[in-house]
Amino acid sequence: MSGATLEAELYESSSKFLNGDVLASDKEIQHLKKTNGYRQDKYLNGHTLGHKPVERQKRTREVKEHFEPPTLIVAIMTHISFYILMFLGYLSQMLFPPKVIKETNRDGYRPMFDRFTAFYLRYVYRRIKDCWNYPICSVPGSEVVLKERVTNDNGWTFQFTGSKRKCLNLASYNYLGFSENTGPCSEHAIASLYKYGVTTGGTRQQNGTCEIHRQLERLMAEFLGVEDAITFGMGFATNALNIPALIAPGCLVISDEKNHASLIVGIRLSGATVKVFRHNNMKHLEKVLQEAIYYGQPKCATHTPWKKIVIIVEGVYSMEGTIVHLPQVIALKKKYKAYLYLDEAHSIGAMGRRGGGVVDYFGCDPKDIDILMGTFTKSFGSHGGYIAGTKEFISYLRQHSFASAHAWAMAPPLAAQIVSVLETLMGRDGTDEGRRRIEQLARNTRYVRLRLEQIGVIIHGCDDSPVVPILVYLYSKIAAMVRILIEHRIATVGVGYPATPLTQGRIRICLSAAHTKEQLDYALDVIEKVADELGLKYSRRPRDLTPIDYHKIKVYTEESL
Amino acid sequence: MLQSIRNFISYWYFRYLLVTELYMVEKWERTMFHIVLFIVLSVLYIFNTTIMLSLVKLLTSNLFHGGDTLQRDKLVPVMQNSEL
Repeated sequence: MSGATLEAELYESSSKFLNGDVLASDKEIQHLKKTNGYRQDKYLNGHTLGHKPVERQKRTREVKEHFEPPTLIVAIMTHISFYILMFLGYLSQMLFPPKVIKETNRDGYRPMFDRFTAFYLRYVYRRIKDCWNYPICSVPGSEVVLKERVTNDNGWTFQFTGSKRKCLNLASYNYLGFSENTGPCSEHAIASLYKYGVTTGGTRQQNGTCEIHRQLERLMAEFLGVEDAITFGMGFATNALNIPALIAPGCLVISDEKNHASLIVGIRLSGATVKVFRHNNMKHLEKVLQEAIYYGQPKCATHTPWKKIVIIVEGVYSMEGTIVHLPQVIALKKKYKAYLYLDEAHSIGAMGRRGGGVVDYFGCDPKDIDILMGTFTKSFGSHGGYIAGTKEFISYLRQHSFASAHAWAMAPPLAAQIVSVLETLMGRDGTDEGRRRIEQLARNTRYVRLRLEQIGVIIHGCDDSPVVPILVYLYSKIAAMVRILIEHRIATVGVGYPATPLTQGRIRICLSAAHTKEQLDYALDVIEKVADELGLKYSRRPRDLTPIDYHKIKVYTEESL
Repeated sequence: MLQSIRNFISYWYFRYLLVTELYMVEKWERTMFHIVLFIVLSVLYIFNTTIMLSLVKLLTSNLFHGGDTLQRDKLVPVMQNSEL
């Protein structure tokens, strides 16, 4: 018998198994096929590869995202004008060196501070510095009192005039309007002062834990629908100091490109490898995940897998006003067995029917997210941050997190404020106040976004996100708009390069449940006038000019889903 | 009438300052930029009218005068001459 026939025979006999299929008549093998994890019928949208079928999300929302790119001429003009600004800045610096302190006796040393940063601060930012860092002297609720100031030397120094100006506050992250100095929440906070004192005087691990911390953590876990939670005294540190406790070198972090600085600091401290995916781009995220699994660690022997893969996303992106596509991220995370770290700094309280953040907004299961992080600085009108998850995970953090071991515990009055806000949101104070605020915020958001679209300015982000960036592109327009709006008693925040890409300077409006319709109408009328005056109506989309009835906007009802 | 024209001009000057970022610089820098812009544009103008135009004239004169520089003023196309 020649080798060729043997080969043919072998091939013949095994031909049925070549594609991994089995003989349909063999019942034993059929049984094995099912227990072997080979379950074709249980695939849901191609998302699950595991043994257990994943429960379908009960309800998911279609997130409508607005992103209108600038026209070519606007982009070119923005670049040209930026170069004009740079040219004049360098010219000015050359002709009139700034009267600032210089380091002496430092021959041979490189300058300690980055030269470009210093130049940028002195010759770009300084010119329009009066639009930022406004001193305030009141509670930043729906209105805020600004302390007026003048400059006689083009922004180098400022003098107070002594007068004050009460402005409508469109600048604070006061989403639910809990930043107030009257009402049950602040009374509860003040009452706790007499019981616990101003500060704890220790870290959480060393005699800094009060009863109110445990109460807050239990309440927070219940509010989020998870097993346990841990709180910290500082929101930024929650990210920056806890990520190193979770991630080590040899792990891969897949991070959204618009993630907040605190997340980036945390990732860098951990020493893990980072891969960045394009903002809210699920296809790119999947590609990055696939590549990470195919190729493994680059510096080790070929195909050494990563120790773990962690996807880090935010709920609501504060600069873009976009909402993460959470159901898709969860599906990808389950498909590729990666961990998910969700930063709900801007979304907790502000999104969802119960105020439970984007998890509540999309109706996802909070147990699908491994690490739920958030801050109390925004919606809760307090200070600090939390991390929530399973009992084991939180116990691990209590032991090993730097923030738990070395950072001061949250001050008791701050914790008391959060406890009473949470009780309001959960309806335990016996009123409908929490629900009213959540609906008011949602209605205000929809209303302002629809009205701004009618005005014709370019706004970014999703329909339901309370952060509304209005694109104005140029520094001059940012400065002019902020100045004119303050003249009209409206306080807003301008954001420019380097916080945004060079061609995407913007004015950011943050909505609040404390705003009334009259206040918003006034602000929108002024913005319309200013947009005409400064030429901000860049949008080329068709507009629907039917008047919007504020009271008929549907929020958090079944129809609005 | 005069007032409305003045308003119109000042408004569009303001818009011009906005899109060129000159709105936020100091007055002498604004003036400086305009002077530099004026100098650059006038140098370009002089360069174009004197050097570029004569160069173009020299290079394209063949098309119109058949290389005969003496008959420069008679605009007779080359094709007609060759046909005759």
